[in-house]
Amino acid sequence: MPESALDEAVIVGAEIVAGHDGTAELVVRLLHPDGSEHPVLLDEDTGLKLMEACGASSLEDLYGQSWRRIVPDA
Amino acid sequence: MFDVIVRGGTVVDGSGAPGFQGDVAVKDGKIAAVGQVSGEARQVIDASGRVVAPGFIDPHTHFDVQLLWDGAAKPALEHGVTCVVPGNCSLSLAPLKAADRRAVVGMFQQIEEMPPEAFTTAFEWTWEDFAGYRAAIEKGLSINVAPLVGHSVIRLWVMGPAAQERAATPGEIAAMQDLLRECLDAGAVGLSTSFVDLDEHGRPVPSRYAQAEELDALAAVLGEYGRMLQVVPEFYATDITIARIDQLADLSIRHNIPTTFSPLFDTLAVPDNAERAIARVEEQFARGARVWPQMQTRPIDISFSLLRPSLFFARLPRWVRILRQPLDQRLAALRDPETREKMLADLGPDGGEAMFGRLIARGGDACPRALVGKTLSQIAKDRGQPAGLALIELSLENGLDVAFLSAGQGHQVTDRIGPMLAHPLVHIGASDGGAHLASFSTYGDTGYLFSEFVRKAGAMSLEKAVAKITSETADIWGLKDRGRLQPGLAADIVVFDAATIDREDELPVFDMPGDGMRYTRAARGVDTVLVNGAVAYSGGAYTDAKSGVVCV
Amino acid sequence: MAELSRQRRFVTPGPGETVEQLAARAMPDQPLESAVDRIKSWNLHVFAMRRPPGLMLGSDVIFVEPPVTHA
Repeated sequence: MPESALDEAVIVGAEIVAGHDGTAELVVRLLHPDGSEHPVLLDEDTGLKLMEACGASSLEDLYGQSWRRIVPDA
Repeated sequence: MFDVIVRGGTVVDGSGAPGFQGDVAVKDGKIAAVGQVSGEARQVIDASGRVVAPGFIDPHTHFDVQLLWDGAAKPALEHGVTCVVPGNCSLSLAPLKAADRRAVVGMFQQIEEMPPEAFTTAFEWTWEDFAGYRAAIEKGLSINVAPLVGHSVIRLWVMGPAAQERAATPGEIAAMQDLLRECLDAGAVGLSTSFVDLDEHGRPVPSRYAQAEELDALAAVLGEYGRMLQVVPEFYATDITIARIDQLADLSIRHNIPTTFSPLFDTLAVPDNAERAIARVEEQFARGARVWPQMQTRPIDISFSLLRPSLFFARLPRWVRILRQPLDQRLAALRDPETREKMLADLGPDGGEAMFGRLIARGGDACPRALVGKTLSQIAKDRGQPAGLALIELSLENGLDVAFLSAGQGHQVTDRIGPMLAHPLVHIGASDGGAHLASFSTYGDTGYLFSEFVRKAGAMSLEKAVAKITSETADIWGLKDRGRLQPGLAADIVVFDAATIDREDELPVFDMPGDGMRYTRAARGVDTVLVNGAVAYSGGAYTDAKSGVVCV
Repeated sequence: MAELSRQRRFVTPGPGETVEQLAARAMPDQPLESAVDRIKSWNLHVFAMRRPPGLMLGSDVIFVEPPVTHA
């Protein structure tokens, strides 16, 4: 697996999905320093808070943001 | 003399074998004969041009509360469903001490969106133990019920408030085992647990506080009875789903029990999600485990209003900024002509027709009744406005409390889902019937199976589809008396038109206690439903038959 | 018995276990701060969601390695 030049995991994708309860939820893709990727599902509240914390007004604004933006106390 | 003969239909007996022209005779609640039946009956049902099949079994519902005043679990029965499994996701209405009722009511309200009047006016709460709950629902059943007992309520019974605080002691785990035995003896068909649900305060439900040792001990009791363990896992998170599959597989092998997890969704955002999960299920079955993924047939819709910010607008930066403002500022911005002009400009030259035109105005809130069910495109045309402006103005005219539905936003690609539903290790279910009442309809998934995946897509034959939701479900759950048109088995029968069976459009109805609202879908193409030999639904109407039982 | 393909390793938290304790258990050779960071970044399904921050439950799946790449 190719190592990336990253020090920590960052967001490399974000997409709206239909949540199980009918809300719009956010799937972000995280790229880890070892080059691996995985999706994380964020509920509507967490997704909106993430956008706010990143000053993001579109999904693309989330790209490159650290995973720490997603975790309130990290 | 038979009680009933269903004559001259295409008999699709639930086994998956090709349908054939024939009759089905019923006596004393059981199927007495199948084939060319001679003799007479007190009642003859003409099924010519129709399919005669075993009643459908819905393995994932939350009808626990509704069954106390509605023994037909409407509208499940009119869709041809003759057996429902309530008590999923760690929640059931028994065993439950009187002192703990308020806590569990909160969980039910959170998960099922049941109005509070449902618990205060619709039934008399007479029981604490599982046998008492069984007796309470048995008084008026038109549909059969195969109830699960919830891990969260078992934990609450034994541990009280500590059930949502800490791990159980060995003594408490032993007490939970005894209590589970008592429930299984009283008719529970298994145990449900949840890894995701929250109560009305946003706290994890009690089952989530269990250590692996606790679940293992409860699974050991299930093993004594050969009964099912149901779990609800994390959504759209493939690695976690696989971890859950592995946990269930270990329990299945160690205790020789069937297990099921629900739901498993397909999504284009994580395109290999369902595929990888099913591949893991295949590996675990090859090891001897039984881990059945439940997949629903219907797509998932997104609904929202401008009353709360929604990620639905995440691709419209200006809209997101405005809708994230406090209510008074949001209202002011939406009323401001200059701001509106900019918002509309963001939607492109068509004024939002492509983006919003297919949204459907939903009822059950402040939406004018005349608009319920119409597309925003129609509404905008009637108002002589572009779709984006109609969305804003209609919302403003009604205090922003107008819900819109964006249909088919997840689990929606028939060509991907059809082969998965047809997969021999995929269990069709996860309807969630009786839950999410104020958000969307959880009824009619069986009709959608036939209309979308049999007729339209040809993903499976009619016989296969019937088998999936009858005999295969009965076998997975160990319901020995159900799921086939076979002499000696219970006479649960549905007569339907293969050319038209479907679900109707989603509509708000106000038939919950206290005039509470829920979204439902009526059935199309279902003529007659028999439950244990009695006609429970016919010609578009429910009968007075109360022939449902708690079946094991 | 059929062999299982390799999937991502995970553990479940012990009773009352903190993320620091779990990180030390899962990655004893790593400096604690770095181990905690890794555990958190691999398990946003736990650490980003609605719950008292830092609370782990006995039923949680906690990954102790990054995602495995699937062809």
